[in-house]
Amino acid sequence: MLGFEAGPIAREVRAGQFVNLLLRPGPLLRRPFSVYRAEGEVVELVLKAVGEGTHRLLELHEGDRVSLLGPLGRGFTLDPSAGQVTLVSGGLGVAPMPLAARQARAMGLRVCWVHGAPTAADLCTEWEGDEVRWATEDGSFGTRGTALDAMPESPGQVLACGPLPMLSALAQRRPAAQVAVETVMGCGTGVCLGCAIPLASGGYDRACTEGPVYRADSIAWERLPAPTCRRGEA
Amino acid sequence: MTTSRAEPGDPPSGLPELDSVWRWPLEVGGVRLLTPVMAASGTFGFGTEVPLCDRRALGGMVCKGIFLTPRTGAPPPRIVETPSGMLNAIGLQGPGVETLIRDYAPLWATWEFPVLVNLNGETVEEYAELAARLDGVPGIAGLEVNISCPNVHRGGMLFGHDPQPAAAVTAAVRARTRLPVWVKLTPATGDIAAVARACEEAGADALCAVNTFLGMAFDAETGRPRLGFGTGGLSGPAIRPLAVYLAHRVAQAVRIPVIGIGGITCAEDALEFLLAGCRAVQVGTATFVDPNAIGRVVEGLRRRRLPPGHLSSIDACSRQDASSQR
Repeated sequence: MLGFEAGPIAREVRAGQFVNLLLRPGPLLRRPFSVYRAEGEVVELVLKAVGEGTHRLLELHEGDRVSLLGPLGRGFTLDPSAGQVTLVSGGLGVAPMPLAARQARAMGLRVCWVHGAPTAADLCTEWEGDEVRWATEDGSFGTRGTALDAMPESPGQVLACGPLPMLSALAQRRPAAQVAVETVMGCGTGVCLGCAIPLASGGYDRACTEGPVYRADSIAWERLPAPTCRRGEA
Repeated sequence: MTTSRAEPGDPPSGLPELDSVWRWPLEVGGVRLLTPVMAASGTFGFGTEVPLCDRRALGGMVCKGIFLTPRTGAPPPRIVETPSGMLNAIGLQGPGVETLIRDYAPLWATWEFPVLVNLNGETVEEYAELAARLDGVPGIAGLEVNISCPNVHRGGMLFGHDPQPAAAVTAAVRARTRLPVWVKLTPATGDIAAVARACEEAGADALCAVNTFLGMAFDAETGRPRLGFGTGGLSGPAIRPLAVYLAHRVAQAVRIPVIGIGGITCAEDALEFLLAGCRAVQVGTATFVDPNAIGRVVEGLRRRRLPPGHLSSIDACSRQDASSQR
């Protein structure tokens, strides 16, 4: 978890929106991160050391500076009449959920958070809301399976973020769920057209501008490749 | 004039201010640029998408490449970062010329800086038809003929490989418009000077050098190319020395102005192209990283000094080379 002093972003950000972060020295392009929490003047991001860039981020000291562009994209849309909202997260898909939980509770919605990971050791233990459910693929903690297997039968409104296979499986079961999609990005502001999301209705739009939150059945999942990054470059 | 001791990386000392040598606005290839720094095609959208940019710094803008009809673009992934560079295969996704004329040109007509339209086609006739369609449309200051896009299956870069097809496209566009005609060259040619001269003789008012370098990256995990299109165009600082060299070759080969493009991120980078003989530059990939990259480049240029008489020396050198190579 990293906190950055960024008052204008912290005050405006909605759950599901992201910031595009530039580290110097570092990779040429910015990297998008969902906003995990926003308190006062501080924006919090959650990340895992997968490559040189994320390693370097985790080595930042208090007082170091980065450039954050945001808040970007369209976040989750909460329906106050839904009564309940279920947050479904897999792995680092926890990122947009604390903000979503707070916004939902502020609207009077009951919040159930379902979180899944490969093993108990990978599970993010922080949660917010009224109820939490856990799932691990190896069964070492909570339900054996993915977060989808631990969802309540009547979930109300469903908001999800996580690996593409989890999201596309969710689209089959809950077509109206809102999913936050992770993809490679260039500019993050709608110019480069690099973050193309294939639409079920044909063509593409931009994850950074029309997304990154989509109705689950509006994405042509079979045409959306998993983000790849060369080891050491992320 | 400065007398302070020069540090490594400092600009040359004891030289006249840039804008005493280089008066802005300036006329380049029939277009009145407000500064010598423009936004490159594909990196500034249609001019409405880039936030936080000091638009007073913009010398002009070239809009996203346009075809006669709308195009959906290439399958994802469309972008891969490589060392100091970026491979892209967007595939010229765009709305088609009628939308451009209806939605964007009227907006551009109200802007201070000039907007050029980046022209694309699969056949010579498509380029010509586009040129005719845009002739006389208020808000369009010129055309940039793209014979250098690596990310389409037909047309694009194929016209830029050799002098004859490059000249054919240029002449066809020239014949159908009164607008200034710039031609954007590809590095994918054996003799860029020959292509440049062919475009000049076919009626081009200026040349842009260069578009992206064709490149490829594989994913060792999946064994597949990392771009959905397979190949892509390399841009960013990685290509800068290659681009400066090619821009210099082009500037030496022709009398018409050359606009330098390739990995510019700061004023020093832009200066390299100006010293190589270019009259103006375009900034591209850097805008993705810093939306105000052009503002920074122009601000830096204002404070820079140039070697005395560099323009006249480059002019003389290009004339001499051009005549000796003819």
